[in-house]
Amino acid sequence: MSYLFVHGLTMAFGGVRALESVTFGIERGELVGLIGPNGSGKTTLVNILSGHLRPDGGRVELDGRRIDGLRPEILARRGVLRTFQLTRVFPRMNAIDNLVAVGCALGLTQREAERRGSKIMEELSLAGLCGLDAGHLSGGQMKLLEFGACFMVPPKIALLDEPFAAIHPTMKEIMAAFIRRYHAAGQTFLLISHDMPVIVELCPRALCLDAGAVIADGLTREVLTDRVVIEAYLGEAAA
Amino acid sequence: MQMLADTRGRMRAELWASLVILAGVAILPTVMTNDYWRGVIVVSMYFAMLSIGWNLLAGYTGQFSLAPATFGMIGGYTTGLLAYHLNATGLSGIPAALIVAGMIGFILARIVMRLRGPYLALTTLSFAEIMRLVIGNSIDFTRGDLGLNVPSLFESRLIYYYAMLVVLALIQLGIYALLSSPAGLYLRAIRDDEVAAAGRGIMIVHWKTYAFTISAAISGLAGALYGHFAQLVSPEMGLISQSGLIISMVVIGGLGTLVGPIGGAFLVYVASELLREAGGYQLIIFALLVIVFARFFREGLWGLLSAGHERLMARRAAAPAE
Repeated sequence: MSYLFVHGLTMAFGGVRALESVTFGIERGELVGLIGPNGSGKTTLVNILSGHLRPDGGRVELDGRRIDGLRPEILARRGVLRTFQLTRVFPRMNAIDNLVAVGCALGLTQREAERRGSKIMEELSLAGLCGLDAGHLSGGQMKLLEFGACFMVPPKIALLDEPFAAIHPTMKEIMAAFIRRYHAAGQTFLLISHDMPVIVELCPRALCLDAGAVIADGLTREVLTDRVVIEAYLGEAAA
Repeated sequence: MQMLADTRGRMRAELWASLVILAGVAILPTVMTNDYWRGVIVVSMYFAMLSIGWNLLAGYTGQFSLAPATFGMIGGYTTGLLAYHLNATGLSGIPAALIVAGMIGFILARIVMRLRGPYLALTTLSFAEIMRLVIGNSIDFTRGDLGLNVPSLFESRLIYYYAMLVVLALIQLGIYALLSSPAGLYLRAIRDDEVAAAGRGIMIVHWKTYAFTISAAISGLAGALYGHFAQLVSPEMGLISQSGLIISMVVIGGLGTLVGPIGGAFLVYVASELLREAGGYQLIIFALLVIVFARFFREGLWGLLSAGHERLMARRAAAPAE
């Protein structure tokens, strides 16, 4: 069975079916892109995987253990870390403490967390901003900081919800390089993005959601040229 | 790493400022021989302890409880009732007050755990009123609104003065140690963004309960000490206006700073004594001050002072070095 195994996941908000029996698997060390038009259920899926939503039906397993329905703090400890589409940092704590808090919560000692935090700040070219309150960072820097928090203790799977949205190309490149490096070292990712060139460049494999269902799953180039996918994005006439 | 040291330094500066205030309080009796005013300072120290407890909860954990005075009342009644019914001395009554208040804080925390913002405030407000009415109406057990006599601990007012000061200083050092540890980071993370904190592995329920319990225990200890000093506890200790006074002390001094509660408590309580002549106007003045501070100076007087200091340093740095 896959490292992350999602089977028959269903979720409705009132009468709206946000996810309709979603099934897929991700192997250990894979970097999978998750694409789909707005409202297709990508964020709902990530919210369920990270424990911020309880699914109506279906199951999720990670590394052989069932994880659906667990609280986010428990899932984080089991190795599921995420970023949010609308960036969430701790604004009145300085940047390095944002990271140290996460490191300590996930089992590092304070000293280890400080060392690891400084290293991540350097890797993300934020080293000069350690002492600045996170609320005073620019939007892009906040995204980088939130992203870095996911890797204080390398997670079993990192769920990245639109990490590249509305950030400066330089920062995007810093983040992409970070993802490439960690992926090469065996880190598993699920990456949501509307930025197709980035998906093509980073992700060997892609999943496409439309109206709550998986409509394509395979090699990224093939998924992007799939007739059904193009129809989903542009409407039937275009395909 | 330089910057890291700078923020740790910010907290250390706040601690030092508070210790300077306490040092000032320590030498005050040498020039202030009036027993009445020494008593005013003792009561200020009671409020400073309650303010520290509430600041841990509201300023550092973001849990806006409206029951800080209630736990002081619970502490006062714990030692008072033990003395009244069982002839217990303060030696057992004061630790019992700390434990009982902490336990009730723990239970309240479990009840309000998933509530946020206004819902949390309203629930704690109801809790405060229920506790006060229960104590006020259990006439056979607590003597109700008549209040309960509490045996005195020391003959001399000066000994109370320094006993309170030592306890206050120990509480302050304890809070500093707590906030410098990872626990302090978790509390502030929960304050800043609960959803993000949970998503990054911080055990929300555990740490909120922790903050509630410690805050309540500190307040209980304060209430017990106050009860022995005043030799009387009454349901009035738990009035909403008392909680309002504590909140105004913290907001005026500096919410979410280490020095704010202590500075605010002395300032507001001494001012309220000075303004006693002015009758009902004092509360109006404090309420107005709270509005002004909450609107314009989120970090209270301490925030104003440190901002002024930073500006001065910046100007000095910008000036040509001659």
